[in-house]
Amino acid sequence: MNVGVGWRQPHYTTLLRQLPALDFLEVHSENFFACGGAALKVLEQGRAHYPVSLHGVALSLGSASGLDSSHLEQLAALVKRIDPVRVSDHASFARGMYKGKVVHASDLLPIPFTHKSLNLMCQHVDQVQARLQRPFMVENLSAYIAWEPSSTEVALQETDFLMALTRRTGCSLLIDVNNIYVNALNACKCLAADGQAQDPESVCRAWLDAIDPECVGEMHLAGHCHVNDEHGDIVIDDHGSQVCEAVWRLYGYAVQRFGALPTLIEWDTEIPTLDVLLGEADRARSMVAGLQAQASA
Amino acid sequence: MSELAVQQQNLLHALFDGPAASAIKSGAAPAYSMSARGLKAYRANGHMRAERALLATYPVVAQLLGAESAAGLARTLWHVHPPSKGDLALWGDALPEFLADSAQLQEEPYLADVARVEWALHRCATAADADTDSSSLALLTTQDPDQLGLRLAPGCMVIRSPWPIVSILSAHQPDALSLENAGSELRAGVAQNIVVWRQGFRPMFREALPGEMDLLAHLLAGASLGAALDQSSGLDFTQWFPSAMASQLVLGVFVQNSSHR
Repeated sequence: MNVGVGWRQPHYTTLLRQLPALDFLEVHSENFFACGGAALKVLEQGRAHYPVSLHGVALSLGSASGLDSSHLEQLAALVKRIDPVRVSDHASFARGMYKGKVVHASDLLPIPFTHKSLNLMCQHVDQVQARLQRPFMVENLSAYIAWEPSSTEVALQETDFLMALTRRTGCSLLIDVNNIYVNALNACKCLAADGQAQDPESVCRAWLDAIDPECVGEMHLAGHCHVNDEHGDIVIDDHGSQVCEAVWRLYGYAVQRFGALPTLIEWDTEIPTLDVLLGEADRARSMVAGLQAQASA
Repeated sequence: MSELAVQQQNLLHALFDGPAASAIKSGAAPAYSMSARGLKAYRANGHMRAERALLATYPVVAQLLGAESAAGLARTLWHVHPPSKGDLALWGDALPEFLADSAQLQEEPYLADVARVEWALHRCATAADADTDSSSLALLTTQDPDQLGLRLAPGCMVIRSPWPIVSILSAHQPDALSLENAGSELRAGVAQNIVVWRQGFRPMFREALPGEMDLLAHLLAGASLGAALDQSSGLDFTQWFPSAMASQLVLGVFVQNSSHR
């Protein structure tokens, strides 16, 4: 079973001292774009002990303003330096024009699921794979707004959009189970307000059923939070807590469907002690081992 | 501009200058009637990133302003000077000029220079690594200084200031004892020039010695050692050089191409 954790600054030295049994470390690519310095050195030390997965958060693959060539060059330099086991980013955009200049929102903003948007994503994923000379992975998003297609466009289902992306570019999907659940919770909350009750876990299972197992290369697990303030009620994918029981159940369902794929435990805010993070990784490993034993029995 | 580009531009406008309703009108349609709440979530996320980034890059400016004002400053800068790159470590370079131009902060005119130094320290921390090359020192005895350059530490910079910026920065380091010295120098109108460099992986700063500012400024501009020394009156090079090597401000000596001289 292949389980890794997101390696963040508070755990740099602890992890290098303890060298726990992990199958890979994941880091955010952009945090290591600099030419030198201590963080890059630490990453190289980690790479000496573990395979490293480079997971980007800012390539802006869905941007109508195109990819930032300097960003892609920095990623290519990091890939060359680290020789990662996998390289990935998100089906999102962040880069665009604002007051006559190109800006970057530093967030994972949703893209419309339309043919035009798909064509653009395919073009950019092709560009990335050509530059990196290796297959790339694209992750599904947790989104807090959705786009309505214009009157001349046909809306695709997110799953159809992602499947078409993999078929056309040869990239694989990085399925974030928590993202699917967060989207389902927010959708079901609003449907419930309109008197249309739906079970979020059923929605997620249907989402997973629509994905061809051959297209999936990795899975992500993380925590989320419920925010209910003066602005309203919403579920936020904050990566700031343990994976919830519903997401564990959905992960089990996904493992049965996709197999024991590399799985990452992400924790990016309110980062706990390393032991807590490793406990989540152990749980993923045990769950998959249990499912495999069940299947072989 | 394509329709998709316009849609994305409208969403960026909604995030950076609001109000949220403008995006709803222009294509970012309600997601399960949660669009306005969703946009607030994205805006809050941007503000949180801005506050964290600014605090990490400008810890002394943040201390001088206080936590609440620093957070407000970060949010304002986020909207006035949004990031242009996906690497958030590159955001915040506009702060020194923003502080210098701020009418509200005219009573703290030294803040902009403190920010300049903190930005230099921030960039210095991730400059390309370089090692000391002691063997190159022999060139000092065999070559004309007009043909030599000094290899300076990664991220080396010099900043002139009419304010006691070294004392202000020192007084806000974790191991600082008191603000008293910085306060009295500020009242006395003491001016300090500062040298920023990296020792190993650690960004460093100290007050520039007499003549050192000119020497380093000329070397950084590509002047030969001989030409830079001509401009650095007051600096005893024979005393300065061993100390600069020991502190890794200087890493070695090299023969310049004729085009540099």
